[in-house]
Amino acid sequence: MNDILTVDGLNKSYGDFSLTDVTFSLPEGCITGFIGINGAGKTTTLRALLGLTGTISGNIQFFGLDMNKNERQIKDRIGIVLDDGGFYEELSLAEMKSIISSAYTSWSDQDFKRYMDIFSLNPKQKINTLSKGMRMKYALTLALSHNAELLIMDEPTSGLDPLIRGQLMKILKEYMENGGKGVFFSTHITSDLDKIADMLIMIDNGHIIFQEEKDTLLDSYRIVKGDVQSLTDNVRSLFLDISETAFGFTGITKQVSEVRHFIPDVIVERPTIENIMLGNIGGEK
Amino acid sequence: MMLFALLKKDFLIVKKYVLFMLIVAVIIPPFMLWRAPEFTGVLGFMLSVIFVDFMLLQYVSLKEYQFPKAATLLCAMPFPRKMMVLSKYIFCMAIYVICCIIFGIETLIIPKLGTSNIKLFALMFLVTSVLISVYLPIQYKLGYEKTRFAFVVVYMASPVILPLLMKMEILSLNFLSMFSPFLVNGGIVIIGFVVLVISAYISTEIYDKADLA
Repeated sequence: MNDILTVDGLNKSYGDFSLTDVTFSLPEGCITGFIGINGAGKTTTLRALLGLTGTISGNIQFFGLDMNKNERQIKDRIGIVLDDGGFYEELSLAEMKSIISSAYTSWSDQDFKRYMDIFSLNPKQKINTLSKGMRMKYALTLALSHNAELLIMDEPTSGLDPLIRGQLMKILKEYMENGGKGVFFSTHITSDLDKIADMLIMIDNGHIIFQEEKDTLLDSYRIVKGDVQSLTDNVRSLFLDISETAFGFTGITKQVSEVRHFIPDVIVERPTIENIMLGNIGGEK
Repeated sequence: MMLFALLKKDFLIVKKYVLFMLIVAVIIPPFMLWRAPEFTGVLGFMLSVIFVDFMLLQYVSLKEYQFPKAATLLCAMPFPRKMMVLSKYIFCMAIYVICCIIFGIETLIIPKLGTSNIKLFALMFLVTSVLISVYLPIQYKLGYEKTRFAFVVVYMASPVILPLLMKMEILSLNFLSMFSPFLVNGGIVIIGFVVLVISAYISTEIYDKADLA
């Protein structure tokens, strides 16, 4: 499987925050979730990928092409959805489209009209009258109307109700079925990824924590519940994160068989992506 | 095509003000004839170009300031940052051309306004070029808020500066009368163009390095 995006040794300082040696890749044909808590570096990484912010060092390749040398050609093949759209709010949908469409060599008015109809968007409507959900649909319409091979989305589901988030997930699935080579989207709402992601990349404090296939990741962690009395120092060291109450403990571990060796009567459950994310940053400590 | 789209974008985001500003461009020269006949003609034309050009540029900058992520989105798309910068310069020069056309028509209708000729338009091209060539790089470097102060200073100083420029123009014309008008006007336009190119290069360098919102 070819990589449609490879990021190697990306470094960027930004006030008190810095991206440090960010390295990951996106295999073709995958929906990849980029997860992390607020301020972890998701948006900064996406902005660095798109050349919106300078970097100290690092190499970025889309479709095997160097971003520094082929920026325009690469961007022509990418659909962009920014958090809250990023539009001139006082323009109508048709006016904004008339500006954006000229940037793409493969713009399709037919696709644009089709998605406008699917999402029940009125081209004459002003952007500042759209709800957050409608705005996201419009952003997606623009991103899907120029035969983009890769969709990059920054927090597309943030602030959306479950119904619209569900519609968005469905559209992304359809996009992949219709020949899209990849979707890369940042989010801190991990329940969306439980449904559609193939691959997960986690960032925290500017460092990549892991890149794993979702199913492999979910198989390698377990939630363990048991009696606090059985938590010796040896057992504690087997957990990434433990929370304790008077009734017992709940912890997340990658070494469930060792835990069972020490405490045979523990309850073991399959974790969610959110459990894994919080376990890796010690959010529940 | 992309450059045209970006120019169109600048006009679209200030479309509410464009018509009003064009009316202002029409009114200023006859108003000067009525209130200050001694400064009619060249001065009225200069005032209308500078006022309308800078006011519309300010409105464009205000909208970019209000919706900073819009420029970020365009830069995330295949629009090169260089073109984003160039479109601002072309926008200002398009306003200049519109003001020239308006003044040209007015001088035909109201002969007392004086005559519009190549020399006047060339001189105004140089003045407009120098002003926006100073203003735009500063705005790209410092941002809209801080540069707005500079705009207020220029506008407040214009009643003093313009008569001085008028006197300088007379001196210059005496000196330049030794050369053919074609050479003089061509030279003025070329100088204005060179100033614009240098300024656009500086603005592009600044904007290329900027971290977008």
